[in-house]
Amino acid sequence: MSNSKNDFALVCESIGMQFGGLAAVSNFNLQVHQGALYGLIGPNGAGKTTVFNIVSGVLRPTAGSVRLFGVDTTGLGPDEIARRGIARTFQNIRLFRNLTVLENVLVGHHVRRKATLGEALLSLPRYRKEESDMMCNATGLLQDVGLDHVANYRASALPYGQQRRLEIARALATKPKVLLLDEPAAGMNPAETERLMQLILDVRDRFNLTIFLIEHEMKVVMNICERMTVLDHGQIIAEGTPSEIQSNEKVIKAYLGGGAIARH
Amino acid sequence: MIGNRSNEFVRKAGPICVSLLVFYLFLFWAETGWDAYKVRILNLSAIYIGITLGLNLCNGFTGQFSLGIAGFMAVGAYTTALLTMSPATKSAVFFIDPLIWPLNSIQWGFLPALLMAALVSGFVGLLIGAPAIRFRDDYLGITTLGFAEIIRVIFTNTRTITNGALGLKGIPPHTNLYWSWSFALICVFVMIRLTNSSYGRALRAIRDDEIAAEAMGVNLFYHKCLSFVISAMMAGVGGGLLGSLITTIDPNMFRFPLTFTVLMMAVLGGLGSITGSVIAATLVTVAMEVLRVLEEPRVILGIFLPGIPGMRMVVFSVALMLVILFYPKGFMGDRELGLKSIRAFAARFRRTFLHKQV
Repeated sequence: MSNSKNDFALVCESIGMQFGGLAAVSNFNLQVHQGALYGLIGPNGAGKTTVFNIVSGVLRPTAGSVRLFGVDTTGLGPDEIARRGIARTFQNIRLFRNLTVLENVLVGHHVRRKATLGEALLSLPRYRKEESDMMCNATGLLQDVGLDHVANYRASALPYGQQRRLEIARALATKPKVLLLDEPAAGMNPAETERLMQLILDVRDRFNLTIFLIEHEMKVVMNICERMTVLDHGQIIAEGTPSEIQSNEKVIKAYLGGGAIARH
Repeated sequence: MIGNRSNEFVRKAGPICVSLLVFYLFLFWAETGWDAYKVRILNLSAIYIGITLGLNLCNGFTGQFSLGIAGFMAVGAYTTALLTMSPATKSAVFFIDPLIWPLNSIQWGFLPALLMAALVSGFVGLLIGAPAIRFRDDYLGITTLGFAEIIRVIFTNTRTITNGALGLKGIPPHTNLYWSWSFALICVFVMIRLTNSSYGRALRAIRDDEIAAEAMGVNLFYHKCLSFVISAMMAGVGGGLLGSLITTIDPNMFRFPLTFTVLMMAVLGGLGSITGSVIAATLVTVAMEVLRVLEEPRVILGIFLPGIPGMRMVVFSVALMLVILFYPKGFMGDRELGLKSIRAFAARFRRTFLHKQV
C-alpha cells in the first residue's frame, strides 16, 4: 500500500540537469507524500532553484523524470504543469506589478476558466457567472492571506512582506495540488516570518495541499517541514526528518565548512 | 428577481443607448450638413481610432512591440478594394496584366468585404505572429517590421492580383461616417470587453511578467497570438475603410511611416489606455490637417516664405518629444478616462485649490 506510486504527490527520479559542462543537479531523487510539508535546503548554488525550475517546467531536465501523482510531467511547459496542479512562487518576487492586488489573484484563476473568448466578449451568462465566482474566490483568498484591505492597490505599491503573501495567494488561485515555495521567508523580519509559517501551515490544511519549499531560514525549515532533502553541489547529501538532518555530519560540514567539524 | 434584473439592465444599458442615439444623430447632422473636408477628417479620425486601438492591444496591453500594422492595413485595404470594385472598373484598372479569376468577376457588398478583410488580415496576422511572437521587445519589432515590408513588396510584384505599383483606382467610396464610426465604436467595445475580462488580465499579466504568467498557467503562445490576430484584424478593417474613403490605394501608401503614425497615436495617448488611444488618434488626425498651414507658402510681415513640405512632421516630432518628456507614459498612461476618474480628479482639485474637505 505505502509502496504504491500514487501515494506520492511528487516524485523525481534520478534527475540530472547539465548546463554545458556544468552539472547543476545530478542524480536527484525525491519522494514527497501527499499532504506533506517537504523542505529542500542547501548552501548557495547547490541547485535548489534548478530543481524547482525542473519540477515547474521552466527547465527540461537532461536526465530522469518528474511524476505528479504518478503521471509523468517531464518536459511539459510551465503553463501545462500549472494546469495539472503545480503552482509556485519565486525567489525574487515576480508579481504583475501594474495590476492591482485583486487582479493578480484573478490572473491565477484564469487557468481554470471554462468560458471562451467569445463568451467573454459578448458577456454571456456562463462567463458572467464564472467572473463573479472568480471575484468571490479571489476576495476570499486575499482575506486568507490578510490582504483584503489593499485589494485595489497596485501590486508594486505593497511592502515586501505583503508582496510575498500575495504571491502565495496568486499561486493558490490556480487551485494547485502541489505548492512550490521558493524561499518564502527571504528578507522577512522575525515577526513576518512567524506569520508566514502560520500561513503555510494553515494553507496546507485548508486547501489540502502538498507543499515543497526551499528555504534558507533554518528556523522555518526545522519548525514546519516534516522531512527534507539537503543538496550540495547538485548532489543529495542527506534526507530525513529535521532532527536527523540537524545531527548529520555531512550537512554540518556543508553548511559550516570542514574546519568547523575539526574544531569540535 | 426577473424584474430586478431587467431594471438593472435598463439602468446599465439605458444611458449607453441614449448616448449612442445622440451620437448617431450627430453623425447624421455632420454627414448631411458639414463640408466634405471636415467630414473626411471625421472619417479619418474614426478609422485611426480603430487601428490605434488594435495596435494598443498588441503593443500596450500585451506588451508585444509589433511594428507590422501597415502590412495588415495593406492586406485589409486590398481585400476590401478587390471585393467591392465592379468587374468593369477592374478590367479598366488592370490594363497591363489582367486580374486573375475569380477576383475579376465578383463584386461583394461593403459589409461582407470588410468582414472578409478582417478574416484575411487576421489569418495573415496569425501566419506572421505565430513565428514572430517567440521574439521579445526590439527583436519582435524588427521582425514584424520586416514582415510588413515583405507584404508590401509582394503586393508590388503580384501584378495579376494587386496591379503592382500602379495600385487600384476607382474603389467604390462606400466609407461614410456611419461605417467608420461604427467600426471605431465596435473596436472600443471589443477593447473594453476584452481588457476587462479574464483574458485581458492574462494579456496584461504577460506584459508585466511573462515568466510568472506562464507559471500561473497562462499559455503564452495562445494569448500572444490572440492579441496579435485581433490587432491585425482591426488594422485590416481600418485599412479597408481607408481605401474606400480615399478610393485609390497603392503599395507605397503602406510604408513604415504609416505604422509610425499609428504608433505615435498609441504612445501619445498612453500604451494601455483605451480612452488615451481614442483621444490621441483624434487629436493627431485633426492636427495633421490643421498643421497643413505650415507647409503652404505665405507672406508674413512682407517677407515671402516658401512652403516647406514635411514641416508638419517636424512639429509632430517636437510634440512627441515634449509629451515623452512631461508625460513619459502618454496622456493617460495606462489609466482610463471615465466618470470615476473625472470625479476623483474633481475631488483632488477641490482639495488642493479650494481647501475643502470632500
